[in-house]
Amino acid sequence: MTLHPILAALRRHKAGVVLIALQIALTLAIVCNAIFIIGSRVQRIQRPTGMDEKNLFMVTQLWVGAPTGDDKASIDKLDAMLRTDVQTLRSLPDVESAIAINSLPLTNSTWSGGIGLKPAQEHATAHAAHYFADEQTIHTLGLRLIAGRDFNAGDVHHMGVRGQNVPPIVIVTKALADKLFPGGNAVGKTIYIDRNTPSTIVGVVARMQVPSVDSWANDFTWNSVLIPTRLDGNFSRYAVRARPGRMDAAMKEARAALFAANPMRVIGDDADSSGVKSFADIRARAYRADLGMAILMGVICLILLAVTGAGIVGLTSFWVGQRHKQIGVRRALGARKIDILRYFQTENLLIAGGGAMLGVVLALGLNLLLMRHFAMARLPIGYVLAGVAAVLALGQGAVFLPARRASNVPPVVATRSV
Amino acid sequence: MLKMNHLSKVYRTEVVETYALRDFNIDVKEGEFVAVTGPSGSGKTTFLTIAGLLETFSGGEYYLDGIEVSNLNDNARSKIRNEKIGFIFQAFNLIPDLNVYDNIEVPLRYRGMKTAERKQRIMDALERVGLSSRARHYPAELSGGQQQRVAIARALAGSPRLLLADEPTGNLDTQMARGVLELIEDIHRGGATIVMVTHDPELAARAQRNVHIIDGQVVDLAEEPRFHAHAAEAAHEYR
Repeated sequence: MTLHPILAALRRHKAGVVLIALQIALTLAIVCNAIFIIGSRVQRIQRPTGMDEKNLFMVTQLWVGAPTGDDKASIDKLDAMLRTDVQTLRSLPDVESAIAINSLPLTNSTWSGGIGLKPAQEHATAHAAHYFADEQTIHTLGLRLIAGRDFNAGDVHHMGVRGQNVPPIVIVTKALADKLFPGGNAVGKTIYIDRNTPSTIVGVVARMQVPSVDSWANDFTWNSVLIPTRLDGNFSRYAVRARPGRMDAAMKEARAALFAANPMRVIGDDADSSGVKSFADIRARAYRADLGMAILMGVICLILLAVTGAGIVGLTSFWVGQRHKQIGVRRALGARKIDILRYFQTENLLIAGGGAMLGVVLALGLNLLLMRHFAMARLPIGYVLAGVAAVLALGQGAVFLPARRASNVPPVVATRSV
Repeated sequence: MLKMNHLSKVYRTEVVETYALRDFNIDVKEGEFVAVTGPSGSGKTTFLTIAGLLETFSGGEYYLDGIEVSNLNDNARSKIRNEKIGFIFQAFNLIPDLNVYDNIEVPLRYRGMKTAERKQRIMDALERVGLSSRARHYPAELSGGQQQRVAIARALAGSPRLLLADEPTGNLDTQMARGVLELIEDIHRGGATIVMVTHDPELAARAQRNVHIIDGQVVDLAEEPRFHAHAAEAAHEYR
């Protein structure tokens, strides 16, 4: 199939050609960027926290009538209540392990601060989330210790929520270790969490995401430090690992057992982030907006592709109707059915190809705009090429039925006067 | 060149069968110029569409250049149309989106002919119909007579062995019609077999042989002396 006669005919139908090519170009530009956004969101949603999330749930509760002062007696009492709760949870038949912790990844309740390498360092070397942990934290959360050692019971202290006790040892994530000590081997090195007090890194875990998934935390998403301290306050959180397959039972047992141990507390309902939540729920809640955006973008893409496909079907059907006699004449002059089919497929390929070339420029332009105003990443060329392939395939698919209808126009049509 | 034995063409609907051709017999020898005449609705055009492989038939046999065509598939029929048959239609049937040159090129492209040969044939054909200067014009820019000459050039360029003309001068005035007919006669003198459907006895008289169709059957003209006499007289006036 040579292009000259098709191009010659297209030149006589400029309006339809330009409209469809523009529609294809716009579709390509929007779909490329939308799919890139979807891909980014899906990647974000699927990124692992570093924990073994299966069989993990979190209990958030608030004491009623508990001491509120910062005096030692109040803090000791709160600590005793906290330890009782942890022991209560650990003793449940469907619970494998349990810990008290101030926050978990994806809960959006972030404790964070700068970390320096020298005392009173003016600008922090890194920013990191603080997790107040104990000797069972790594096991309960399913973190992977890749260097150094875990905490032992003797390492763990306790303090009030407004306390300033900085422990002498910490465990950091690999991302934080690499940031602080790019040369490697962070174990044994000293860091400053509160500017003045040195803490020695005794262990490195492979990965632990910070609690926040908001954009402000993007710069330190994987920078976490585990501090061997029980935090005593009016509310507490527990991370609980259920025995395999016993998650639901463990969650029910946990709520009942905590109330049985001490009824003077509030454990929220499922409607908010407090209460007893499976980590799967926490993850779903954390990425609800991302998922919503991905679905919205997906729907927009589908609508755009459907409208463009329908436009191609409509225009080609119109052209087939308009050229009914002409198709019959071509058949009479020796065109085979496949020649007619190829004619319309090639014609569409030329229009879609022109539209796609313009679409590539528009896609990159739109991406630049989004980069400038919405901090979007640069659109990888792979997405653009995939988009081009998609609109060309869409065009070929959409044109197929009308083209086949055209190929079935019988040659005898040439002899009919109407 | 073209032989039909007991050929029939039936159009069927749910309630009725209509015979467009019935027990139709014709034998056109190679190099003959045959005019097919008959009243409207007699089956002239149906005969022509079947002869040109534009349509299939319901029964009987049809030999085209010695080939029995009833069992040929669509591709084979397309190839024969393209290589052996030239068409001239009453409504010219040029493709309005293509200029004169590209119109003439259409069947040659389907034949897979090389560019240089296509060009040579197109220019020769245009020369022969006297439209060399109009190669880049579009059909809408030409008169009816010129359009029909382009259609003839399109048929000529393919060097067809059989030229089928369906009322070729039906849409033309007398002067243009005369020019077109002269071209057809010229093609005939070149060796092609011509079958021309017409309801015009004056045109029919220019052919070597007349075949008259009534109600889908060939009528023996020997038994129709009035027609014969009338046709001869008309041909004399036409010249």
